[in-house]
Amino acid sequence: MGRQYEIPVGAQHISLLEPLHFKFTTENEKIIKTDANVYYVHRGIEQACVTKFKFRQVSFVVGRVCGLCSISHTTAYSQVAEKLLKLEIPKKAKYLRMLVIELDRIHSHLLCLSHVAENSGFEALFMKTMMYREFSMELLEAVCGNRIQYDFSIVGGVTRDLRTDVAQQILQRLKTFMPQLDELVGIYENNWTLSLKNKGVGVLTREQAMQLNVVGPFARAAGLEVDVRNETEDLLPWKEVGFEMITDTAGDVHARNMIRLREIYVSIRIIQNIINGLPEGELVTETKAFPEGEATVRLEAPRGELFYYAKGNKTQVLERLKIKAPTFSNVAGMVKAFEGNEYASAPAIIASYDPCLSCTAR
Amino acid sequence: MNLAAYRKKSPWILHYNAGGCNGCDIEILACLSPKYDIERFGMINTGNPKQSDILLVTGPVTKRSRERLVEIYAQMPEPKVVISCGACASTGGVFRGMYNCEGGIDQFIPVDVYVCGCGTRPEQIIDGVVQALAILEKKTKALEEPVQLKRAAKQEEGQLNRRELADDIKPLLT
Amino acid sequence: MKKIETTLEHLRKDIAAFYNPGLHHFMVMNAVETGEQMEVQWFFADYAHPCETTCFYALTGREDEVPSIKDIVLSAWVAEAELVDLMNIKVENTAKGFVLEPDFESGPLLKKK
Repeated sequence: MGRQYEIPVGAQHISLLEPLHFKFTTENEKIIKTDANVYYVHRGIEQACVTKFKFRQVSFVVGRVCGLCSISHTTAYSQVAEKLLKLEIPKKAKYLRMLVIELDRIHSHLLCLSHVAENSGFEALFMKTMMYREFSMELLEAVCGNRIQYDFSIVGGVTRDLRTDVAQQILQRLKTFMPQLDELVGIYENNWTLSLKNKGVGVLTREQAMQLNVVGPFARAAGLEVDVRNETEDLLPWKEVGFEMITDTAGDVHARNMIRLREIYVSIRIIQNIINGLPEGELVTETKAFPEGEATVRLEAPRGELFYYAKGNKTQVLERLKIKAPTFSNVAGMVKAFEGNEYASAPAIIASYDPCLSCTAR
Repeated sequence: MNLAAYRKKSPWILHYNAGGCNGCDIEILACLSPKYDIERFGMINTGNPKQSDILLVTGPVTKRSRERLVEIYAQMPEPKVVISCGACASTGGVFRGMYNCEGGIDQFIPVDVYVCGCGTRPEQIIDGVVQALAILEKKTKALEEPVQLKRAAKQEEGQLNRRELADDIKPLLT
Repeated sequence: MKKIETTLEHLRKDIAAFYNPGLHHFMVMNAVETGEQMEVQWFFADYAHPCETTCFYALTGREDEVPSIKDIVLSAWVAEAELVDLMNIKVENTAKGFVLEPDFESGPLLKKK
């Protein structure tokens, strides 16, 4: 029995992109207890959405909940508003939404992977992954007009059409990205140095993931088959464009890396299918109705399940809007998976959760 | 070579998110990556305020992070330059007036360079950082200038009045 | 969405009877103001396809203490701590200060009278 020490990480730390505070209680080198403080970036968006902004403006405000998955937030809000308005949107708008969500997933997963590499102490791999990631940002700019904060989905449809030259460019760039992705898979899978920091570290078993209601790649790495794209088809037809569930069994940092890399292959296939089978039609369905009643929407963001609850009262301003972000569900699992690991592994484990605190705190 | 020359050639940056949406943060990360490669200016991202020269702040200041922001600024050694990245950090942006937001960072710490945009593009951040380098050089020079009290004591009613001797350097002290 | 009405007394029993970690996962808690009362909601979603979202709701007074489901649903403490601060609801064994600073007026999401 050694003495117990408390070691804080955060709010400002080199391995964190966002303010996040963990207080580790350690015994010698082992972490035995963790306290998390995740609400540094609480801004009060939910309240502003039901007081300051009209319901058509809110889809731009909720994009600012998170810069990494802003398209997931705008799409989920647009869908919940369409449910309140009882509006059916054109099939082309659905396909374009799925296209941007999948492009966003590629950039988000590669960012997370590079961050894991950096926090594991592998600076060269961080640079390599960031270099390969840049193509997805350029494609998103070509499709939506901005590198981040796309404002692509609006209530009733999408804002921009996909130009044919941009569609050809996407297919071309994906073709050049494929060998690069194979190279990355080789490094993350087989590199011995990285495996010392990643294999068997930060393990969350399938039972724990189930008990703690974990979602996203974090849960899928533990073998839990939870993916909203697999569960709902009424709003976005994921099965039609070739979605496939990816799971692993190990539940450690290495398994999470591999889940993310293999999901990028699925995303690439979905994007190719969407572009090759893009239906013709309108971009937006117009309506003059007002939101009424209550509705919920679930959507698979890059980090897991996103949940929106909205209640309307037949006016321009909503009655209540509730946002549940993926990391919010993972907080309990995050705290649990630290237990029994060495303190030196903590940065790599934090990065492998891919925490998005501006989503969680809103 | 002395310290000032090293500081000019390799300013270290410190990044703090005071409550933003991550958008500008990942663009700062993109600046470090090979395509934009901010390291050609000798910059490196550091986690320690005591070793850094440039503070990059993103996001509107939330109630819980304001003390941390001021603390980090206070821990940085002189000379230091603050860059506010993005619309939220400069003015509060879309979050202005929300109940847990305090608005732009210039209400808490002095800001030297404002970078606009939601979200900022990496080119804009690099542009802002290059401007910050010029300001850093100017501040370094000003810091190294010796302070001299040039005023003489005045003879008033048979006594020497030395109260206004330090008036020239008073702005430097505050 | 399937809505099931319950009361504060029967809440723990209902959720314990419903919740099976292998079939459902707990998502979030929410509260909506309905006149003088509050409607507190617990959302669950299935793993299976097609997926059903289940919502338990209970009407409470503003001063009533809501029972905690932390021991039934292990990850519910995050949602409960958030609701205590944002909607000014009393939840059993949950302290204030997780979301907002301690000196702040609680319940910012409530409609101003």
